[in-house]
Amino acid sequence: MSKLKTQEFMVNMGPHHPSTHGVCRLMLTLDGEKVVKIVPVIGYLHRAIEKICENRTYAQCIPLLDRFEYVTSMSCEYVFADAVEKLAAIEVPERAQYLRVIMLELNRIASHLIFFGTTVMDIGALTPFLYGLRERELIMDLFEMTCGQRLTYNYITIGGVSHDIPPEFIPKCREAVKIIREKLKDYEGLFNENPIWLARTKNIGVLSAETAVAYGVSGPILRASGIKYDIRKNEPYGIYDRFDFNIPTYTHGDAYDRYMVRLDEIRESLKIITQALDGLPEGDIRKKVNPFTFKPPAGEIYNRIENSRGEMGVYLVSDGTTKPTRLKLRGGSYNHLQVLPHVAVGGLVADLVAIFATFDIIMPEVDR
Amino acid sequence: MKRVLNGFKNLIKGMTITSKHLGRHAVTVQYPEERDKIPERSRGIVVLLSDKETGELNCTACMLCMRSCPTAAIRIEAPRGEDKKRHLKSFVVDHTICCFCGLCEQACNFSAIKMANKYEFSTLDKNDLIWDMHKLQEMGRDVPYESKKKKAAEKDETREAGKPKTASGDGEKTEKKEDQPEVKSDNQENSPGEVK
Repeated sequence: MSKLKTQEFMVNMGPHHPSTHGVCRLMLTLDGEKVVKIVPVIGYLHRAIEKICENRTYAQCIPLLDRFEYVTSMSCEYVFADAVEKLAAIEVPERAQYLRVIMLELNRIASHLIFFGTTVMDIGALTPFLYGLRERELIMDLFEMTCGQRLTYNYITIGGVSHDIPPEFIPKCREAVKIIREKLKDYEGLFNENPIWLARTKNIGVLSAETAVAYGVSGPILRASGIKYDIRKNEPYGIYDRFDFNIPTYTHGDAYDRYMVRLDEIRESLKIITQALDGLPEGDIRKKVNPFTFKPPAGEIYNRIENSRGEMGVYLVSDGTTKPTRLKLRGGSYNHLQVLPHVAVGGLVADLVAIFATFDIIMPEVDR
Repeated sequence: MKRVLNGFKNLIKGMTITSKHLGRHAVTVQYPEERDKIPERSRGIVVLLSDKETGELNCTACMLCMRSCPTAAIRIEAPRGEDKKRHLKSFVVDHTICCFCGLCEQACNFSAIKMANKYEFSTLDKNDLIWDMHKLQEMGRDVPYESKKKKAAEKDETREAGKPKTASGDGEKTEKKEDQPEVKSDNQENSPGEVK
């Protein structure tokens, strides 16, 4: 009997694959179940945010930037507003600074809860997706109560924040912190030592520290690979130097570590929120800036913050008019998508899903 | 053997957590019959507010909302009358391109435009989402609001803050003229950044 011939097979994963969280298309070359080659195809969500912003005043840019990375919109607003404030030397009132930190950290938790839900769903556990989104709902309610929207907030404005918190915010926020802290124990009980979960994530998609640095990987993925780097600590922006929190770091850089880093980060963020609520001062929430005639001085600035997905940066060039001359956005997901082939080639297709899910790539941030 | 035992241990642990949810009642809101309470500040449809006593629109046709809109969803026509003041002729909000950012509400100094916490406005025809002045007024009749009576002192403060840091005293007037040709005329009290 003659031997059967085998050949490589090309298959598209996405752009409508449910586990690619958006419209990412991966062109896979497979040898049986083994992945031989991955080519990410991007651009399906390109909306030319950078170009549109050149035709908008600084205040009008903010609602657009909400759509840059819509899972953590607050950080997109913050990084831009902070850049403009640094350029124009605007001093933000103390209360606004605290409110910004509370919102940023709440948004980080919301993002990590989505990560938790979608990751475990991709790997096969369906119910925890609802658990993750249920707790996120508490945070969404807080946002809606404060600024009126659940996803694209337009809350952090140049010079402060747009609304003061309503009186019932603080008790509700403390309650949400308490509930999420309790529920985290449930999540950990369900997964951390679960043999199925360990089999699917332990030693899967190992990203070494050298490769991570070489590809410009940042955020939780970098910390899972063993590098203790967090812009909130290393280069504190805003008032982050006033809070006491740790940077969770793991050593292996596999899918399991990337998952653990994020769960630990939720706990650290809860710590920051509690401290910020305790220290919240009274006073103004905004330094009044006329949105129509506001002109920062001519100059350029690169401002970066620690987003839930990594380093988020804005490079802003101003020529002294009411509109930015050039706006360049940097999102962590772009680099993470580039390093994906490096990590996933040689593994199985099923592992690729686990790797992609724990990278927590969000496509609008890649395509902008 | 050890792995099997460990597996069982975790199975029981997981089942304990899952079974905690077993006895709870459902939390689903059966939408058309029951509704969640929407917060006061929630940004839904755009409405025009009327004076509570006279029933007239609060809008003074200062055009600030139109200029602040990032997607140009608001179109106002207000030709000058014989008294050289703007009179509102038409006010159209295109809800198909509105991005619900709320900048128009923030820009308004007269509590004339608001994003109400109403959200049910789906229709079968796209053109039904382009609302004219009367429809906007009608929708805003029952919307509660606090009148923002801008005090003179507060306005001065805005004016100070609005000044660009780099512009010199002389160059400022001409620069601002270029910026806001529409407002810079007789209707000075309407725009906060005006130099009198």
